[in-house]
Amino acid sequence: MEQFDYVVLGASHAALEALRAIRAHDSDGSIAVLDREARLPVSPTVLPYVVSGKRPEDRIALRERGWFDDLRVDYRQQAHAAALDSAHSRLRLADGSEIGYGKLLLATGAAPAVPPIAGLSDVRFHVLRTLDDALALREAGRSAGRAVVLGAGLVGMHAAENLARAGARVTIIEMRDQVLPGYFDATAAARIQAAFHDNGVEVLTGRRVERVAPRAGGCTVQLDGGDPCDADLLLVAAGVRPEVSYLAGSGVAVERGVVVDAFMRSTAANVWAAGDVVQTPSFFGDATPAGGILPDAVEQGRTAGMSMAGDPGVQAYPGGVSLNTYGFFGRRALSVGRDAPQQGGADWEVLVRGGEGSDAYLKIVLRDGRLQGVFGVDVLFDPGIMWELILRRVELGARAKALLEDPQDAARALMSGLWR
Amino acid sequence: MNEVVEMTAPVAHAASGRIAPDHDAVVARKEPKILVCDANEAAAWGVVLSRPDMVAVYPITPQSSLAEYVAQFVADGVLDAELVEAEGEHSVLSVLHGAALAGARTYTASCGQGLAFMFEPYFRTPNLRLPIVMSIVNRDGITPQCVWGGQQDAMTVREVGWVQLFCETVQEVLDTIVMAYRIAEDRSVMLPVNVNHDGNYLSNGIVRIELPEQAEVDDFLGAPDVNWHAALDPKRPMGVDPLTGGATGPGPALFVGYRRGHCEGMQNALRVIVEVHEEWARRFGRRYAPLVEEYRLDDAEYALVTIGSMAGAAKDAVDAARERGEPVGLIRIKTLRPFPLDAMVAALDKVRAVGVVDRAVSYGWNSGPVHQETLAALQYCPHRVPCLSLIGGLAGADLTQAHFERAIAETARLLVSPCPREPVWLNAEDR
Amino acid sequence: MSATPTIAFDAARCDGCGHCMNACVSAKSSDAHRAQPRIQILRDDESGRWGIAQCRQCGDPRCASVCPAAALEKGDDGIVAWDGERCVNCLICTAGCTFGGIAFSAAEGHVVKCDQCEGAPQCVAACTRGALRYVTTANLYNRWGDLEDLFVPGLGGCQGCNTELIMRHTLRRVGSNTVLATPPGCIPGMGSVGYNGMLGCKVPVFHPLLTNTASMLTGIRRQYKRKGRNVTALALAGDGGAGDVGFQSLSGAAERGEQILFICVDNEGYMNTGAQRSGSTTYGAWTATTPIGESARGKTQDAKNLPLLMMWHGCEYVATASTAFMEDFYAKLEAALDASQRGFAYLHLYSPCTSGWRFPSASNIEVARKAVETNFAVLWEYRRDQGLKLSRDIEDPAPVTEYLKLLGKFRHLDATQIAHIERHVAEQAQVLRELARMHPREGRQVVGHQSDLMAVDLDQ
Repeated sequence: MEQFDYVVLGASHAALEALRAIRAHDSDGSIAVLDREARLPVSPTVLPYVVSGKRPEDRIALRERGWFDDLRVDYRQQAHAAALDSAHSRLRLADGSEIGYGKLLLATGAAPAVPPIAGLSDVRFHVLRTLDDALALREAGRSAGRAVVLGAGLVGMHAAENLARAGARVTIIEMRDQVLPGYFDATAAARIQAAFHDNGVEVLTGRRVERVAPRAGGCTVQLDGGDPCDADLLLVAAGVRPEVSYLAGSGVAVERGVVVDAFMRSTAANVWAAGDVVQTPSFFGDATPAGGILPDAVEQGRTAGMSMAGDPGVQAYPGGVSLNTYGFFGRRALSVGRDAPQQGGADWEVLVRGGEGSDAYLKIVLRDGRLQGVFGVDVLFDPGIMWELILRRVELGARAKALLEDPQDAARALMSGLWR
Repeated sequence: MNEVVEMTAPVAHAASGRIAPDHDAVVARKEPKILVCDANEAAAWGVVLSRPDMVAVYPITPQSSLAEYVAQFVADGVLDAELVEAEGEHSVLSVLHGAALAGARTYTASCGQGLAFMFEPYFRTPNLRLPIVMSIVNRDGITPQCVWGGQQDAMTVREVGWVQLFCETVQEVLDTIVMAYRIAEDRSVMLPVNVNHDGNYLSNGIVRIELPEQAEVDDFLGAPDVNWHAALDPKRPMGVDPLTGGATGPGPALFVGYRRGHCEGMQNALRVIVEVHEEWARRFGRRYAPLVEEYRLDDAEYALVTIGSMAGAAKDAVDAARERGEPVGLIRIKTLRPFPLDAMVAALDKVRAVGVVDRAVSYGWNSGPVHQETLAALQYCPHRVPCLSLIGGLAGADLTQAHFERAIAETARLLVSPCPREPVWLNAEDR
Repeated sequence: MSATPTIAFDAARCDGCGHCMNACVSAKSSDAHRAQPRIQILRDDESGRWGIAQCRQCGDPRCASVCPAAALEKGDDGIVAWDGERCVNCLICTAGCTFGGIAFSAAEGHVVKCDQCEGAPQCVAACTRGALRYVTTANLYNRWGDLEDLFVPGLGGCQGCNTELIMRHTLRRVGSNTVLATPPGCIPGMGSVGYNGMLGCKVPVFHPLLTNTASMLTGIRRQYKRKGRNVTALALAGDGGAGDVGFQSLSGAAERGEQILFICVDNEGYMNTGAQRSGSTTYGAWTATTPIGESARGKTQDAKNLPLLMMWHGCEYVATASTAFMEDFYAKLEAALDASQRGFAYLHLYSPCTSGWRFPSASNIEVARKAVETNFAVLWEYRRDQGLKLSRDIEDPAPVTEYLKLLGKFRHLDATQIAHIERHVAEQAQVLRELARMHPREGRQVVGHQSDLMAVDLDQ
């Protein structure tokens, strides 16, 4: 049985950052990376640009093979973990071979969630998570006259825009009342939705798909209480679920994802987890959506890697903060943190500028004078600075007004005095 | 510098097979076989023959002409050595510490106040086990102000851990310098050696001496073997003299190990000194008592104990007394450190009373230092031997045959009356 | 990973004039577009201070870690480079950066960031107030980072002491073909020679006596030269072992021109043994032997100027240096090492003592910097063939009190004592200023009026 000091499952953002962190502290330990993919690692985030043809598929790899070689990492493709035996510190792969590890990182990410819609299994539909998905979607998009996208999350919205740019007539169907739920409030969402409308994309919110049925060259999507909608191309973008299939009976506790502590340790000894496979705790300690955020995955990967290597500099992962930079039709929407709850008390303060019809929309959410969230459409600011202001629980005091007026400059000036 | 005197008599050292050349004095001086000189030049020739890598000197406080001879030899190319004109005796010995740790065979000379100023590194030299050879052209110490001979300097440092050899004659000075390197660099010894010769008495008295052949001395000494045990060499990185741990850790045992090793080296030196003197006699035809010389002792009832060059006049006095029928002998200590206990006891055991003549004072004991050493040795004699302290020759004062005749008379009195506690101050009435 | 020069910002000197931003716009604009400045100067109205947002060229750039398109990468030159061919304009990099160092430019249609203008940042050149400085100290790391650290990983110095820094950096550069002398004091106290048979470094090392460092090195260097080996003789000594009880041997070796690199780490007293007074202790300073009491107010004499004394020996090289000015220190270390192959080289390093001088351990470099900025410790170098040169401008020093007030050992000073120190500092600066004007080795001086063509060669 092969044996490595470190084995990392997956080769996306969390895994890559963990590798760097491990090597930064342990220059000698043997490391293997087992990736399911047959290609060099690619971030799901760039896939919409592959679909649109903006980026050729051969120029999007996150790392070249040489990067792994330089780190003296044994990088293996098409290596599927089939089962984990954490009690004996070994993995069984799909090809039947076994690998022993000293320390293991689960960074297998997530897979597209397929909603329980009647007839879905009988029709051809697309998802968008891997490069193969993107290439298939790009190919299909070239000939599709009419495309239906299920889900108005980031993947769905990006894909819809790119399908529209490719010439398709696109309909987005979202069961909740707004696009990008969880990231933006209704006002912001409305501005975004309007942009789609202006660019010929139909957005149906608050609608459910009752069933789908095959049709020549495509399928028919039957909405609740409405007309059927024909599609040459159906894209299911209803979110993701952690890729944990190989963890059954492993001793690693899984809830909505792998359960981890503040150092990304799973419930099994010598097993860490990071990235989309994890049930990310919220920084705010509430039910705010957390996880699935790229910068967060990187933070988790770094924390896990440092913890695995015994780096004394490791700090507890503070918890996830929702964070998005969203570009649509040449415009930008940014969100960091959480919105105020519907029933927030007096300790909550919400500052807003730019209602309907104005050039820009900005919303700043405070609790006890400390930043909780910033949401902007057509307003630029530095999400990284806002994120840090939230994590540091910086008391904004009178600066909140300045922040509302000019979030970019005011936050930068504040940053410069605090952690420059 | 003394010129070389052409000798008509055959050279005593048959091995050379040559007679000193009689042409140009300067040329001749480079390869003399026979020369007439004082002990300082003789010592310098001993240095030349020993081929040290480095010589460090400071010319004053005080120094003898020895340093100047050595400097001239280096300047003339007679001696191929690094000459460091240091800014004081303290640095003189410090330079040699560094050089020895880098593998150099080294030499210097000092005395009196210079030795006192050198004391800090002097104190450390034997603890570093550096086989440095150093002449002490013995001097008395100030105050009163004094630039004259005496042995107060060497006697004062006898507990520091150097090997201390005391010479009687000019020839012995030269020979002993060369022998000192063999003793110092012997791997069972590894200690610095002081070759003492009396200031004024030997340093200013010009006599005829023989110079051994360089090649034979080279063969006798071999290559320098100086820093195998402790080196400052990037090719063999080590920390020299790290701090020991005091009362904790391996500190005490480590320290005791160093001290005990030093003591063992000293005891080994007793054997090595004898062997080296034997070999010297075999190779070069001159035999010296390595530890303790016995002179007309076997049939003596009492004896003088002397050290250094005073033995010459003392032996004359013994000879004269013998002619008068007085059963007196003489014991000369050549090796004071390590103290030659067995040899000394064997000698003392042959007589019924001794008078010890010192050229230095042991203040708190109200006697001379060699007297103290003799008293300690007498503890190991099977019978009791009364032991009188006589102090003379301080600050260059003469110790004449007459002084020793008095010393003999005072010692003889011990056979019939109790030994006085007070020392006899031999020059107390000299004017 | 290489280290990167930094554009340092001093908020206290900034008046928000904006020249830097304009210079950046000029540098980065093209015919096609007017660039967005890669440096932003902003006012925080609450504090009334100016702030900066600019790329730090992080050693571990998060913008690059989070980039899904591998469009950002830290290059061998240390610059975090942006690749427009790969960028998908997702702006996630702006979420990764907590410094506002990369931001979307609407005019240019993509994110932009500082690239330090290929080593000549235009913003720094445009700053007239010294608020922006291009700090290239990182190049030291790039030049010397791969050199072996020849000391053991753990040296037992006091918290915040800069001496370990001096020791490690010096020995890295000087290298392993060295014999190192560390006379009694803080340096062996930290364990440079070692304890109980455990060695403190990888080169041959020893405790000389406090008194004889230069003499022992003389013997070592000369013996190796005699044997045809070029071994560096290096001393790391305190001010007492150099300038008080060790001065005789130091002076002797310097006068003889021994080929030694002698580094004095001057903490102005016997700090290893409980902070006693030395000849280098400043007037007025508290020490354990110049205490404060009814009738005593600290030391009553000025410190001797040891480096100047060494200069008058006609050494091959003499210099003063500070760990607050590391590039200067390195340049002088280099020069001193080179000079020590020809003759005596003496390097005097100011070493603020956190415990003996009574200041917070985090402030060491700041104290060292203040000493220099107030002319308390003037940085200069002397070469036998070029005379003395000042290493930095001393014409506009900060008030000496800015230095004195940092240190507990001066807390008791009264106005008279402060005036005394101020006067002494000014006098020392004046002496050095005058010395720097002289060029005794040039040998040729024009005598008489400018128009007089007669030149007298003073060497003849």
